[in-house]
Amino acid sequence: MDSSCLIEITAATVRIGTPLLFAALGGLISERAGTFAVGIEGMMLAGAFGGAIAVLTTGSPSLGILIAAASGALVGAIVAIATARFRADQMVTGLAVNILALGLTSFLLRGLFGGRAPVIRLPTLGAWPIPYLSDIPVVGTILFRQPALVYIALLLTAAMTVFLAKMRTGLMLRAVGDGPEAAFAVGTDPVMVRIAAIVVGGALAGLGGAVLSLQEVGTFTDGMTNGRGFIALAAIIVGRWTPFGALFGCLLFGAVAALELRAYGWGLPVSSYVIQMLPYIVALALLAGIGRSARMPAAIGAAFTRH
Amino acid sequence: MLEMRGICKSYGSVRANRGIDLDVPAGRIVGLLGENGSGKSTLMKVLFGIVAADAGTIVFNGKAFAAHSPRAAIAAGLGMIHQHFTLVDAMTVTENVMLGWDHAGYWLRPREIAGLIETTSRTYGLEIEPGSIVGDLPHGQRQRVEIVKAILRGAELLILDEPTSNLSPPEIRGLFNVMRRLREQGRGIIFISHKLDEVLEICDDIVVLRDGEVTGRRAASGATKSDLARMMVGRDVTAAIDKAERTPGGAILNVVKLSHRDEKGMDRLHEISFSLRAGEILAVAGVDGNGQSDLADVLAGLRVATDGGVDLNGLDITHVSAAERLAAGLSYIPVDRATTSLVPAMSVADNLALREFDRAPFSRRGWLHRDAFQARAAQRIGEFGIRAAGPDAPARTLSGGNQQKIVVAREIGRRPKVLIAFQPTWGLDPGATRFVIDQLMALRDAGGAILYLSSSLDEVLVLGDRIAVMYRGRLSRPVPRAAADTTEIGLMMAGTRTKSDVGGQSA
Amino acid sequence: MTTAERNTGDSKSGSPAAMLDHTVRLLTASDGLRTFLLACAAIGLALAVTGLLILVAGKNPIAAYWALIKGVTGTTGRFAFALNKSTPYILAGVGVALCFRAKVINIGAEGQIAVGAIAATWIALNMLALPPVLQVTLALAAGATGGAAWSALAAIIRLKRGVHEVLCTLLLNFVGVLLVSEALHGRMGEAGAGFPQSPLLERSAWLPNLLPDTDLHIGIVFAILAVIGGYILLWRTTFGFRLRVMGASPKAANYAGIAAPRCMLGVMTLAGALAGFAGSIEVLGVHYRLIEGFSAGFGFNAVAVALIASINPIAVFPAGLFFGFLEAGALAMQREVGVPSSLVFVIQGLTMVFVLCAIGIGARAQRV
Repeated sequence: MDSSCLIEITAATVRIGTPLLFAALGGLISERAGTFAVGIEGMMLAGAFGGAIAVLTTGSPSLGILIAAASGALVGAIVAIATARFRADQMVTGLAVNILALGLTSFLLRGLFGGRAPVIRLPTLGAWPIPYLSDIPVVGTILFRQPALVYIALLLTAAMTVFLAKMRTGLMLRAVGDGPEAAFAVGTDPVMVRIAAIVVGGALAGLGGAVLSLQEVGTFTDGMTNGRGFIALAAIIVGRWTPFGALFGCLLFGAVAALELRAYGWGLPVSSYVIQMLPYIVALALLAGIGRSARMPAAIGAAFTRH
Repeated sequence: MLEMRGICKSYGSVRANRGIDLDVPAGRIVGLLGENGSGKSTLMKVLFGIVAADAGTIVFNGKAFAAHSPRAAIAAGLGMIHQHFTLVDAMTVTENVMLGWDHAGYWLRPREIAGLIETTSRTYGLEIEPGSIVGDLPHGQRQRVEIVKAILRGAELLILDEPTSNLSPPEIRGLFNVMRRLREQGRGIIFISHKLDEVLEICDDIVVLRDGEVTGRRAASGATKSDLARMMVGRDVTAAIDKAERTPGGAILNVVKLSHRDEKGMDRLHEISFSLRAGEILAVAGVDGNGQSDLADVLAGLRVATDGGVDLNGLDITHVSAAERLAAGLSYIPVDRATTSLVPAMSVADNLALREFDRAPFSRRGWLHRDAFQARAAQRIGEFGIRAAGPDAPARTLSGGNQQKIVVAREIGRRPKVLIAFQPTWGLDPGATRFVIDQLMALRDAGGAILYLSSSLDEVLVLGDRIAVMYRGRLSRPVPRAAADTTEIGLMMAGTRTKSDVGGQSA
Repeated sequence: MTTAERNTGDSKSGSPAAMLDHTVRLLTASDGLRTFLLACAAIGLALAVTGLLILVAGKNPIAAYWALIKGVTGTTGRFAFALNKSTPYILAGVGVALCFRAKVINIGAEGQIAVGAIAATWIALNMLALPPVLQVTLALAAGATGGAAWSALAAIIRLKRGVHEVLCTLLLNFVGVLLVSEALHGRMGEAGAGFPQSPLLERSAWLPNLLPDTDLHIGIVFAILAVIGGYILLWRTTFGFRLRVMGASPKAANYAGIAAPRCMLGVMTLAGALAGFAGSIEVLGVHYRLIEGFSAGFGFNAVAVALIASINPIAVFPAGLFFGFLEAGALAMQREVGVPSSLVFVIQGLTMVFVLCAIGIGARAQRV
């Protein structure tokens, strides 16, 4: 493996990790505010679908991205109302919307087009090299010759870090996740904050889906997220519920996936299915390695009740 | 400063407040005295905007006042220190103060706020470090964080709701000093309590509530406890508990240098040693968080001691399971009915057999024998007068007092040799409390040994044949009640005395 | 006002309002009845919303639902097919319901079914020297063991390393399903087949039929036995008592002397065994071979079934039938009315969400 191959793999890692990063950031917002984000798989899928259909019918990538975010937000709204307002169990509701999104996207894919799924072949979003910066050797190729959404994801990571640590609304969000009674006592409604956080998180996860369908493969197929949402959850835990930690986790899994793609060409004695298992096994191994020291938001999992 | 006139509030058919008038002049501490259910909390909820009054007017600083939410009340200059703190344990003091505070701005300025906290802390003698994590602070310090929050938000009238309920005596002194300084600065304070001593000590004026009405209003100076008690309850309190003096028998439970470290590595119990004798109650006083629950759990076998030994009647039970300790005659009444000593969703019968369900006659070879459950239930229900729809009624349908009867019936009904009781009267009305205490007395008179752990000094003084104090995981040497000095106990509960026992003379 | 009227507290004791009030009070008095009604309401709401979606797709909801119903009841053959489809959901659903009862969130049924199927197929392909009864029994047992092992693996990771069981079982799902592909592309695959599948099993390894001339295999009998067994386990055995206390409160479980880790391992292993058993039934009784992707969606269905049954093993039977019939009829619905069969997932997802909301509301009303 020579250096250009290594650079190529690293660039691929960043690219492949981007949908994971969007989903992880979305899940992070929701979890820091106190709700398990098991449903980001469904929100991602909804975003992938919404984005693809929007581009298919209007031809506009920007509209596609917008609709993708809106679709994810819609699924997020379902989770939000069920868990924050009706106090449904957070984990199982997340699973339920995953099933719902799977069914709904498959159904609409056919139902909206007269009963048969259309052939979707979209031009994938191309790279937007940043002038000057993209000419830097090594780093330039890895970081500055990526499609636009990659830049947005990285900027979002930094923005979220600042938001959580340094802004008043971020502080309130953390309080709702760590001690909602305190937030309530100073006059904020934790239920509304949680709903907002889950919906915004859904929008972000939807953007992750857009990256998948619009940037990576240029089409939509049933269930195309294929567990990426759960990998994103693992990334959140591995990253200890911080944005840059989640970035690290997503890059890790992105690297595994990038290697997986390259590995087919290397003629390894290992079957392709075992290679496909790697992301999940690595995720499990990492989680097992971290073990009990993972410190999640204190009030996560419990619906807030006023006394 | 504050004038409340004719406040009325009903919840359905319950009239919580019936035309209450309350005045709080600036620079005065007004005590609001009353038992549970007298209407004090409702009145404060009305004032603070948590609920709306049905009738009445409030004038604050010369202007008509009606807060629709706590936020509005805070903005108008009211501050409330709740009995159960509303702080985020995972965050620092500074972050907690900044939470929801408009002054902090969109872009947080922690250093500036920390400076403000330090200044305020110095002015009022609060001794708070802005950078410390609230979850690590002891109870008294967390209360001070709440006070700083209120002061910095410009509270002119402070409402303190049962502020001394979890404080040790020196911490109470500290709080009263802070209150005096606040008063000097011209603030008004409402001090809500049911403790006569404290109200007499710190308040300038006292207002007594009973059943939603004001039954007494006077200056504190010259008032006596019996005056206040009469206004509060309508009769003279402190019904004496008949305690026959008994000579205790031999030692049944011997605890030697018992230590326990929890999963986080913190020492919860430090070399605890004592003996418990048949036919006596050893009452241990201690503020919550000083190791009482740890001691109870370790002795009962729910948690494992990291060092030391326990023997029951000569049998070493240090590493024996809870079930085996039960079989050997050691019963345990934990404090928490909702999550520990009972399963509310299960039936009365199931709960009565909760600790023995996997042994004969309740279980044989993996199968439950329902008739055994029913037989035990019928027996205990009759013996202890548990009022329920039937043995199969879910425990959550019973009143609090009857739920505790289930626990008592289960733990005392088996005639244990040793009973560990941790705040067994918590949350019970006077009738139920009386029942529990009578049962404990009966057990003691029949020769049982009881370790009674409580944070209520009154209970400990009344019930204990011998008395000891727990502080920071250490136990003082037990002394007979007659030789116990109340002041000493109070000081030991706060750790100011390091003498090894609470006797009037040194050990 | 007569004495009777005064006792009922209403001057017109026969008034509609009083009767409604009395009925509501009667209905909400019983836990089981209340759960049943809530489940019905949730299903009804889900069907209504889905009906709207069918309209959006330009089809007639009534016709679609009618085709759905006819798809399962039209002929004995179709009914048999629907019962066959329900069987794995009921089997796995009982296991998941028992886990949920102990507050253990085991969503690994899909992986457990897959691994169980692999084990069963291996036995069925390799143990041909044995008499048929033994072949089938051994294969079923192997399936149960495989599923049990897969579930126990997740439980051990959970217990030893503190990783939440949702993540453990979920991630192992993916691995389990990929193991099927791995096996089918390896020694268990049928050479020359256009599709990843094992060779067709010999007739001796096929699951016997319950009714001759139909496809209905004896799996449904096992399903009924599992439901009854689950009920007895939960309410009549010591182990079941432990599960119920665990589900109520970990502190109470500790106080009652229950070894929670051992019980968690036990109930998850049991659930895994049931799921693995379901997987082997699919192989031995439906497809007569191992097919890639045969287990798609089973795991979540089992969770949905357990949820709708609101954690009571007996109710898993009607809930499992509901999901099985739904899926069986969906293909007919797609064929005749042109409504995509993925609508079934929509119904399932919506039902789950509504049931969860209902449970959340109900929990508030029942605070201690």
